[in-house]
Amino acid sequence: MMYLQIFYANIAIVLILVGLYCIASKRNLLKIIIGIEIITVGVNLNILTMGLHKADYVDPLAQEMTIISIAIGAAVAAIALSILINVYRHYKTLDTRKLRRLRW
Amino acid sequence: MLWCCLFPLLVLLVGGLTTPVIGFLSRKIGKEKIRDAWAVLAFAITTAYFLYIISNGNLPITCKIKLEPEWASVGIKIDAFSAYLSLIFSFLGLMVSIYSVGYMEKETGLDEYYTLLLTLVAGMVGVTMVDDLFTLYVMWELMCISSYTLVSFRKYRWEAVEAGFKYLVMSTIGSLIALYSISLLYGITGTLNFSELSQLILSNLASIPRDTLYYIIAMIIAGFGVTAAIVPFHTWLPDAHPAAPSSISAMLSGVVIKTGAFAIFKILFTVFYPTKFYYGSILILFGLLTMTVANIMVILQRDVKRFLAYSSIANMGYIILALGVSTYIAYNHPTELGAVSLALLGGLFHILNHAIGKGLLFLGAGCFIHEAKTRDLTKLEGIGVKMPISAASFSVGLLNLAGVPPLSGFWSKFFIVMAMLAFPADPFLYASTIVFIVNMFIAAGYYVWLLERISLRSPSEHLAKITEAKLSMVIPVLILAILCILITIFIDPVVEIIAEPVSVLVGSTVSNIKISLILGGV
Repeated sequence: MMYLQIFYANIAIVLILVGLYCIASKRNLLKIIIGIEIITVGVNLNILTMGLHKADYVDPLAQEMTIISIAIGAAVAAIALSILINVYRHYKTLDTRKLRRLRW
Repeated sequence: MLWCCLFPLLVLLVGGLTTPVIGFLSRKIGKEKIRDAWAVLAFAITTAYFLYIISNGNLPITCKIKLEPEWASVGIKIDAFSAYLSLIFSFLGLMVSIYSVGYMEKETGLDEYYTLLLTLVAGMVGVTMVDDLFTLYVMWELMCISSYTLVSFRKYRWEAVEAGFKYLVMSTIGSLIALYSISLLYGITGTLNFSELSQLILSNLASIPRDTLYYIIAMIIAGFGVTAAIVPFHTWLPDAHPAAPSSISAMLSGVVIKTGAFAIFKILFTVFYPTKFYYGSILILFGLLTMTVANIMVILQRDVKRFLAYSSIANMGYIILALGVSTYIAYNHPTELGAVSLALLGGLFHILNHAIGKGLLFLGAGCFIHEAKTRDLTKLEGIGVKMPISAASFSVGLLNLAGVPPLSGFWSKFFIVMAMLAFPADPFLYASTIVFIVNMFIAAGYYVWLLERISLRSPSEHLAKITEAKLSMVIPVLILAILCILITIFIDPVVEIIAEPVSVLVGSTVSNIKISLILGGV
């Protein structure tokens, strides 16, 4: 059980790093949203993994948290996609390099 | 007791959900303002509830929804800290909703606007009231999702859409990092309730590896720090706040970023006791970096809302610095509870001053922008002659945030400086005090510069046709300006009210903090 927990926790970290890399390196807004989703999946996996240590089943609190977290992730994705549609209407592209009209 | 606890959340959420229905019905009878009055009413009830709770003084109120397996129980706890912050949040919400009646008149989609405004405040009030970390995350996301949508509310402008997307990406990564750290805390202790967490961590301090706990602290500061606009994570703020409608900018700058500071305050003080963990100095450095970078960037701005947005970052720097100073003193000088509470008092008092002052500034700037149709500072020169009431209130807000001595903005910064100067033998605190005071002078300089530009110059010819804004826009601005002065006059009772949340955080009663006593100790 212990090995399984470490295995899944490491996979969660890998997923989070992949998502961060995706957000940092990709130039397409849709790919950035996919990166956010990958991080969400990694964090959800980590919550489930952390519930594993109680007994030979996953702690119900962890399952409840994961389900609510998935719902929140879906809401964020919906808002992100609706903003993305509006970005496309303004610019006719999803390339971040064409979008940098805001100054720092 | 349960309904008493859930009452403000229910009022805000039910008010938010019924607003579209009320809007539909009011359009049927041709009086659309009924919907606006409905939203104002919900905010007024919530504000009155928190005023009653604070004046009644019977805190904390707790309620627990007890379910059969113990893990499923969810609790809500209104202590002095959450009541104090919730009062600020709902009061500013009330002002903003009154202001929106006039300001947003020409926009479409106002049903959704009021719904989102109500759920935004519901999320913030919920964040302060919850008793466990995961419910905090849920309420946090309720707040965040509402504010993403409100930032890109004017979706026909490229600026709002682009800034909204940037805000969404950065803030979502921040909350996911915070959720990851929450899941790690859950893995270590097996619970998420605040009081159980603090007991478990204190009793198992030897067996839990220290490094893990410090990683968790770092992730909590970084995750919630994105919303609190600590400097490496601040880049969304100067884009998102100007792009939103002015009423929403007042909300975002005034209270939403304070919620990030609240989450950091609450988690660090209740879960990771500052006497056992050493993170004060890094928070002090973050605070100094935040205020220095922001104060330099303010000077370069020529857009009035970007100007105010950067000065919000600087003020968040003061609040983070106050938190850092209190935790630093608590770790290095554990017996000096007076200095710890004085620094916290300064920080919490500055939250109040900045919420009211920056709300006033953004609403006042919104009046100017609404009439003059420009955000350029050079074109807004001398608008104060044409709009005397808004400009006078705006000037009071500027002087308050500049820290001109009799006004309350001075006292909050003064408390922080006094706490830092309590240990003259500590070179780190001493050096930070110097940086802090230099920053305060830079800030006072640019606020007075803006005051001179707006109020004292003679207006140019393209401002000739401008008159005072609508009554519903002037009234909240005026109320906030009067409130700035009232807090200054009744500073002793206000400080006594803020001493309650400080004693909740420090864990012992703070007595006899009065301005006269602090001055007597100098």
